[in-house]
Amino acid sequence: MINSILRYGLIFVLLILLQVLLFNNIQFSGYVNPYVYLMFILVLPIEISPWLLLLTAFFTGLIMDLFTGTPGMHTSATVLAGFVRPWVLRILAPRDGYEANPDPSMQIYGFKWFFIYTLAIVLVHHTALFFLEVFRFADFMRTLLRVLLSSLFSIAFILLLEYIRKGK
Amino acid sequence: MRNLLNFIVKYNSLFIFLILEGIAFYLLSTGNNYHNTRIVKGIRGITRGIEERVSNATAYFHLREIGKNLAEENTLLKNRIERLEKKDDHLFFSVIDSVYQQQYIWSSAEVVNNSVNRQKNFFTLNKGKLQGLAVDMAVTSDNSAAGVIIGCSDNYSIVMSLLNIDFRLSSRIKSNGYFGSLSWDGRDVKHAALNEIPQHVSVSIGDTVETSGFSAIFPEGIMVGIISDFEMTGSDFYKIEVLLKADFRKLQFVNVIGNMHKAEQLELEKSYQ
Repeated sequence: MINSILRYGLIFVLLILLQVLLFNNIQFSGYVNPYVYLMFILVLPIEISPWLLLLTAFFTGLIMDLFTGTPGMHTSATVLAGFVRPWVLRILAPRDGYEANPDPSMQIYGFKWFFIYTLAIVLVHHTALFFLEVFRFADFMRTLLRVLLSSLFSIAFILLLEYIRKGK
Repeated sequence: MRNLLNFIVKYNSLFIFLILEGIAFYLLSTGNNYHNTRIVKGIRGITRGIEERVSNATAYFHLREIGKNLAEENTLLKNRIERLEKKDDHLFFSVIDSVYQQQYIWSSAEVVNNSVNRQKNFFTLNKGKLQGLAVDMAVTSDNSAAGVIIGCSDNYSIVMSLLNIDFRLSSRIKSNGYFGSLSWDGRDVKHAALNEIPQHVSVSIGDTVETSGFSAIFPEGIMVGIISDFEMTGSDFYKIEVLLKADFRKLQFVNVIGNMHKAEQLELEKSYQ
């Protein structure tokens, strides 16, 4: 128990540091802003209770907002991601369920499963985040392009990190 | 209550989600100037639409009150106009022109009582001796003959209307100058009879009938009406029907004309009769 809390705490700190120190400084033409901290929501144990997941997501977003100076923006997007995660997991459930292993990792459930899982949640999160950032539906296509490009890069980096975490 | 609690427990994640999102949006709207402005603007847009509708509806319900206020304001303004006009009137009736030998003196008055449905009709003016009116002054309405003052008190005058079977007006046909006596036959408010026009004169419908000025009451050339019908009779005279120009049913503001030479004329005429 203590062991797993420490493990997820470490992952959390590493991801936040990575996000704040590295990925927040990628300013590639304003369209590409990868947000890999979302990976923390992705790798939490599958059987985690929904309220704990939501609270975790809330504080993750809150800390991101503290670093980026945008109160509420990351928080609401991340809480939304935490809210849809159980549904995504239910839809993607393999034939014999998740009982065998509680860790939603690429190593156990395969690249394809992990890719779809990441894609769904990252798209939800980024859509919410970028539309909250502009906060209007004028320039809809422009915002959508930012969502898609940033999602592409976020997913790529998350897959890479997942590979580093479990792929060896 | 139990059901409500069960409901909340069953959907606890939804409620937690909504609460957390609520907090996030609160932070979003209070922490970011841009988002705050956009939200306030959006809410104001909605409320403005509603308020506009509400105010339209209430404006409709207030129409009665607005109408009343307008009527009151109207009365006030009318009274003010009235006072100003009265002031002008003083200029009129106090002038006695001994330098230019003005023959007629004009003044205006308002009809305060009127009748048209009797055989002997009279109407009352709101001015009298103190305002310079006197017996035997002519009364015109809209520049056409209306009656003669037959009695004056200090502030009121009574006028014998043209619609009075005792009234006689010396009139002439403008086109040929033949004169006769105009009288009312007591039947129709719009028509009077012109008598004593000889039958050798050519008369046509539409000819103007005006005052002759012989009576020393009306100045000459004041319009009375137009010939609407005429017929030959067995006697020497036409029977001419005149459509009166003045509408006696809506007399309101009239002019009063006094002849300053009347006494002189009558005195001269009397001395040779």
